[in-house]
Amino acid sequence: MTPAFEKLQKHLKQLPGLGFRSAERIALHLLVEKPERLPTLVTALLEAAQTVRRCERCGNLAEGGPCAICANEKRDRSVVCVVEHVPDLVALERSGAYQGVYHVLHGKLSPIQGVGPKDLNLPSLLERIEAGEVRELILALSNDVEGEATCHYLTQHIPIDRVKFSRIGFGLPSGGGVLYADSVTLKSALDGRREYR
Amino acid sequence: MRLSRITLEHFRNIPLAELTLVGRQQFFIGQNGQGKTNLLEAVSYLTALRSFRTSDQSLLIGHGQTGAGIAYELEHELLDDTGVTIKLRPQGKEVTCDGEWVTKFSEYLGRFPTVVFSSQDQQLVRGAPAFRRRWLDLTIAAMDTGYLQLLQQYHRAVLDRNRLLKSGATPLEFSAFELPLATAAAQIVQKRAANVKVLSGYVADAYTAIAGEKERVTMQYQPDLDQTDTKGWTAVFAKNRGRDQLLKTTSTGPHRDDFDLLFGRHAVRDYGSEGQQRSLALALRLAQVNYFHERSGVQPVVLADDVLGELDQDRRKRFWTALGFDCQVIATGTGFPDAELGDWQIFKVDSGQFTEIENRDSLR
Repeated sequence: MTPAFEKLQKHLKQLPGLGFRSAERIALHLLVEKPERLPTLVTALLEAAQTVRRCERCGNLAEGGPCAICANEKRDRSVVCVVEHVPDLVALERSGAYQGVYHVLHGKLSPIQGVGPKDLNLPSLLERIEAGEVRELILALSNDVEGEATCHYLTQHIPIDRVKFSRIGFGLPSGGGVLYADSVTLKSALDGRREYR
Repeated sequence: MRLSRITLEHFRNIPLAELTLVGRQQFFIGQNGQGKTNLLEAVSYLTALRSFRTSDQSLLIGHGQTGAGIAYELEHELLDDTGVTIKLRPQGKEVTCDGEWVTKFSEYLGRFPTVVFSSQDQQLVRGAPAFRRRWLDLTIAAMDTGYLQLLQQYHRAVLDRNRLLKSGATPLEFSAFELPLATAAAQIVQKRAANVKVLSGYVADAYTAIAGEKERVTMQYQPDLDQTDTKGWTAVFAKNRGRDQLLKTTSTGPHRDDFDLLFGRHAVRDYGSEGQQRSLALALRLAQVNYFHERSGVQPVVLADDVLGELDQDRRKRFWTALGFDCQVIATGTGFPDAELGDWQIFKVDSGQFTEIENRDSLR
């Protein structure tokens, strides 16, 4: 292998989800097997790097100005669903079940991984709330220690009474029966039960 | 539960072994360092998918091998005849139960109980609180996966808080992590208190049976702080912040709990004789056997690592009677077991090779 190849491989390996072998395969693919793909890929990367930004309002991906969801007049801006990452937003959008808007934190508090409040997309959330149009925050963060801590932090950090906080439910998957659920899921499903009649 | 067959491949110093176990008593005889304990380790791996000797899984894989395998055939009270296979890699493992992948550890834990008796067990009586805490946690968690999840949540939250103590943080950040910490702490203390009460009876009965004494042993939970309320714990962690920041660690919490073993009001650790302490260590393990059996309806397999030889003959007999006749015992030792203690199937262990001995005299 040549020094330039190894350098490329090293940089590819630093990307999430890629190991040494995958990085080698991609490098070989782009340089030897399908070199015709390289220019379009490079152009796409540069173009995306120049135009894709975080939405100033919610942190979702956008190309200049607000993202498609924030720009949509039909969305209910009084309800804001708080998520950790953009893929969480994408998953919720795919469900088609949600008509409100979002706020992407780009992480959760995690002292072990060195993530503090400064690393989260919080200032713009405060701005939105202070502007007065937010009525409810739905906390759709994971239910591990860091997710719970982040939720608790948000409730303390935003001491504005007119905002209602709710936590997304954790329990049985749809179409799944009680029989196949593990005991921990069953416990949270029981804890999170709601009145039916 | 009875283990009827075990196959090992590249497990520690055992290149390949296929053992068919007949009856309920197996004895593995051999010099030290030949692989007796390795076999017990492989059997006990079935229970919680971890070794009782090391947390470094790569040590379980034979020298120069990329992986190891264990296959078990079991007669099981609830599942009838069952096969479990485990493939170990330096990173990770694959487990199947009757051909189906086991993906949820919480579902698996407690299904195949084994209890290891080892000479290290005296630490349960004499050693640091960490040994007793571990005994208590493993005993509760094997029968209550919710408890296991609480422990994991608690330890993660302690790590997070300790990091905040070291790096400095705002009161808001502290309180964010002290909430899940306090929630877990309160429930852990509740569960430990309730379980110690139950287990105390099991330990006392086991001790009486083994020691043949009238004196009853009691177990008494000694929480670092007797607080069973989330709000209470939240206040404690908030109050301790200043001190903990100086110490750079969470100084108070269930991770400092202990329990006392008492004759009346006196600690067995301080007042018990050598023989009493030894009997009590055995009783703690026997209590696990009976507790698991009664809770799950599955009779655990007893793995006795070189402990039978250390007992005098009377204690050994009483221990045997206390175990009952339904229980499979897989034991190791450097000398032959008492013939009067039943009909042993005997294997000789030599450099990771196992040979069944039909006749005791052939070895002499």
